[in-house]
Amino acid sequence: MNKMIRNRRTLLLLALLIPGLALRADDVPMVKYTLDDSGDRMPLHTVVPAYPEKARRARVEGEVEVCFKVDHFGRTSRVAVRRSTNRVFEKPARDAVRHSTYYPLPDGQKLSGIKTCRTFRFLLTPVEVEVPDS
Amino acid sequence: MKGPSIQSIIRPIIVVGLCLTSATAASQASGPSKTVLGPQNPDLYHGANALLAGDGEEGVRLTLLGLERATNARERTSARSNLCAGYVVLKQLEIALAYCNEALADDDRYWRAYSNRALVYIKLGRLEEAEQDLQQAEALAANAHTVKLVRSVLLDVTNPVAPEIVIDDRRQPADEQDD
Repeated sequence: MNKMIRNRRTLLLLALLIPGLALRADDVPMVKYTLDDSGDRMPLHTVVPAYPEKARRARVEGEVEVCFKVDHFGRTSRVAVRRSTNRVFEKPARDAVRHSTYYPLPDGQKLSGIKTCRTFRFLLTPVEVEVPDS
Repeated sequence: MKGPSIQSIIRPIIVVGLCLTSATAASQASGPSKTVLGPQNPDLYHGANALLAGDGEEGVRLTLLGLERATNARERTSARSNLCAGYVVLKQLEIALAYCNEALADDDRYWRAYSNRALVYIKLGRLEEAEQDLQQAEALAANAHTVKLVRSVLLDVTNPVAPEIVIDDRRQPADEQDD
């Protein structure tokens, strides 16, 4: 019985938080991207991970380094977290890499076999407080 | 960067806060050694479920009936705390505050009432009192999910933050292949 109620609470919580999130335009993260053009593969489409709401609420920041291979066609594979400061950030970082792509290799060029690594830093920046009318 | 409207932050989580108020209080009221078949106070039980379903009017109506029929202090405290939450949903904050005060007069260690009252205070802009109630709730139930949510609501009002993602593709010195 208690489990059922807990499940209902979780469902309700999700149902209420999702529209709530839609109200918060500031939840769209600001993105800074530092590209390394010395490698043999150039990013084509870079997916930005979402800032985990649980971490934002708890004011937790963190960093995750994800390493992966890029195939001939620019698709990522063997995505793995190499280093992270908090597990809450690992899945968004992995998922972002999985959905990102690189430019395909030109015909005839061989894969280097070198892994690529990408570091994600999840930061929280103070914003201006809006004082409500009394 | 302009911060999000306080109302837009609080509104959804206020509802969460109230809905997480104990729905099981009625069935827990009789103590651990007694077998209970169904809730002892059906109105209180169904009122809590109505609140969980987001129906403030029905939740308040049933909880008021449950309060009339309460047979012990625990049920009365639970009912008053739930009424506090219900009236927040109905946007009747002064009535909500009165019920929270009554719940805490009944039992000054009832963390749900502190948590609910903190939400009322946030809604009323009485942030120092909200902070005090939240500290009480945290002292009594530090790991309660609702209390953590209320803390985040208060933080969003007093110290709003915007998420920022930095993607760094620069090769790190230790990046040399380990595979």
